Amino acid sequence: MHRSLAFASFALALALLAAPAARAHDGHDHGAPPPPISTTVAPRADASSDDLEMVVVARAGALEILIDHFRDNQPVTDAIVEVDGPAGLVKATAEGGVYRLPAPWAEPGRTIDLAVTVQAGDIVDVLTTTLTLPPVAAKPAAGSVVMPARASDGGPAGVGDVLGGWGLALAGFAAGLAFAGAFGRRRIATAALAGLFLLGIAPGSPVEADEARDLAQRLPDGTLFVPKSSQRILGLRTLFTEIADHPTTVELPGRVIPDPDGSGVVQSSLAGRLKPPPGGFPRLGTTVAAGDVLAYVEPAVAAADVTTQHQQARELDQQIALMTQRLERYRQITNSIARAQIEDTEVELTGLKARRANLEKRERASEALVAPVSGVVAALAATTGQIAEPNTVVFRIVDPRRFWVEALAYEAHVFAARATGRPSGGESFPLTFVGSGLSDRAQAVPVHFAVDGEAKGLRAGQLLTVSARLSETRGGIAVPRSAVLRGSNGRSLVWEHTNPERFVPREVRVEPLDGERVLIVAGVEAGRRIVTGGAELLNQIR
Amino acid sequence: MIRPSTLLAALALAALLTAGPAAAHQPRLGPHGGALVDAGSGHHAELVADGTTTVAVHLSDMSDAAVATTGFKAEAILVVDGKPVRFALDPAEPSRLVGTAPVPVPKGVKGAVRITAPDGATAQAKF
Repeated sequence: MHRSLAFASFALALALLAAPAARAHDGHDHGAPPPPISTTVAPRADASSDDLEMVVVARAGALEILIDHFRDNQPVTDAIVEVDGPAGLVKATAEGGVYRLPAPWAEPGRTIDLAVTVQAGDIVDVLTTTLTLPPVAAKPAAGSVVMPARASDGGPAGVGDVLGGWGLALAGFAAGLAFAGAFGRRRIATAALAGLFLLGIAPGSPVEADEARDLAQRLPDGTLFVPKSSQRILGLRTLFTEIADHPTTVELPGRVIPDPDGSGVVQSSLAGRLKPPPGGFPRLGTTVAAGDVLAYVEPAVAAADVTTQHQQARELDQQIALMTQRLERYRQITNSIARAQIEDTEVELTGLKARRANLEKRERASEALVAPVSGVVAALAATTGQIAEPNTVVFRIVDPRRFWVEALAYEAHVFAARATGRPSGGESFPLTFVGSGLSDRAQAVPVHFAVDGEAKGLRAGQLLTVSARLSETRGGIAVPRSAVLRGSNGRSLVWEHTNPERFVPREVRVEPLDGERVLIVAGVEAGRRIVTGGAELLNQIR
Repeated sequence: MIRPSTLLAALALAALLTAGPAAAHQPRLGPHGGALVDAGSGHHAELVADGTTTVAVHLSDMSDAAVATTGFKAEAILVVDGKPVRFALDPAEPSRLVGTAPVPVPKGVKGAVRITAPDGATAQAKF
């Protein structure tokens, strides 16, 4: 049984090797060596100048011209394109971003010089190129071309050309049968099954080669061939590299905190029962203004306290009664006592009455909890009837337009004013340096940054990465983060657009710059074109 | 087993794909004070413009030896003041192709010249 499996896998490997590239692009790459590239591309020529780059494709007796801006790979779709060819001057018609012109002279085996005049707004350029059409006699003008990779394979490639995918699949089937026969009849069934499986796997036929299909593909040297039409579908954009001085940046772990001046807590100062204000407690996210009453605390009075208060009240009542009587008596004998005595008694009585009134008021007075700042209720712990201990935080008010970020710096840095914060998976936003502490906290120094303006979706306590600029600068090429990819070996790479339809991976060393960009300090020189838009998709081409 | 046609096509494509930026036309100064570039695979062409309407192209071979232009035909497509200008160039002694542009052509003009040899072979020079 083991042997049958071995033969089946051997045959499978053969069939996979023979499978046309169309299938090789399906599914996933499991780290196995890629099958030899075999596909067809239409005959083509390219040219580029300082402003434009152009690809001319001969297809079915016509020429397709695709023109992009040289620096950013933006398609040029509204240009006037005139072509000087064997039939003199011909104006091309624009059609969906592609310029077409009839080319009855594009016969197989010819070499044609073309001068293409492009007028696109301010850009006027003459591009020259030479289109070489392969001498394929029995096929239409847009004949098949086999990739160099395939041709350089030598003998087996030739066999593959003639037999095609089906041929090798059948060979695999026959091989499986032969081996199975040699080792016993019982295994014929297994091998035949494997063969049938192969028939399903090896698709297509060499006939497909008649219609030239331009497929993006990875060449054996690791570079990519991506037809202009595919580049437009992938939305590839490039950046013309320039070396400039950028401030050195450090990345610090940080946490969003509310601005201490723009946030506050509402605490109860005495133990008591919580009572909602008219309209109820504010809900989470409610906007409140400074001074708004958010809740009342009814002081809870202990039984002993109540007794003492009652006693005091009786005592005061008694004293007031005594004092009132005394005052009445004095007033009847005004002539025989000093006026001062009456006045003293009056003052004493007034004082006693005030004390009595206060005592009653205190019994009923509840504490109003007011918002210390304007903002939004960020947290609440209020339920009607709940007993709040003194110092309990009942509400937390935060101004969503005023957030700070507290980052931890593990080295002594001199920070510049500007910084950016980037929550994981979120968009980055600008920060302004506020100050840095001196006292150590967990081997680090806390640094405060203020969030500029209103950053959407921020919440207190959120973790983020702060890219803080330092006062010293450093030279390098700034590229968007999306341009730098991880290679299969784990190192950073960027794709360089070297020729109109060719991309070369470049290993680079990068350093952090800010939330959006990184700095390439080695690996790419100035004046190159680096893929910034669609780089991820480019990396997927096998 | 490879058909010669297929092989040829493959080689052509290989050449196309391996053509690096080095193939870009980098003009150098010619003996007549104009930009000297390759014209096809067999010639060098030097474009001389001096601010007048007269434009001359000096033709030489790959070792910079002058080539007689008798029987040659040529057409210039030059970009002057943001507009393409086309005019024919006629052979002149000893190794020149001379034409008159409809507008004055400044020195260092950009454009292309299409040259047809007496045997019908064509070549292009990009300036």
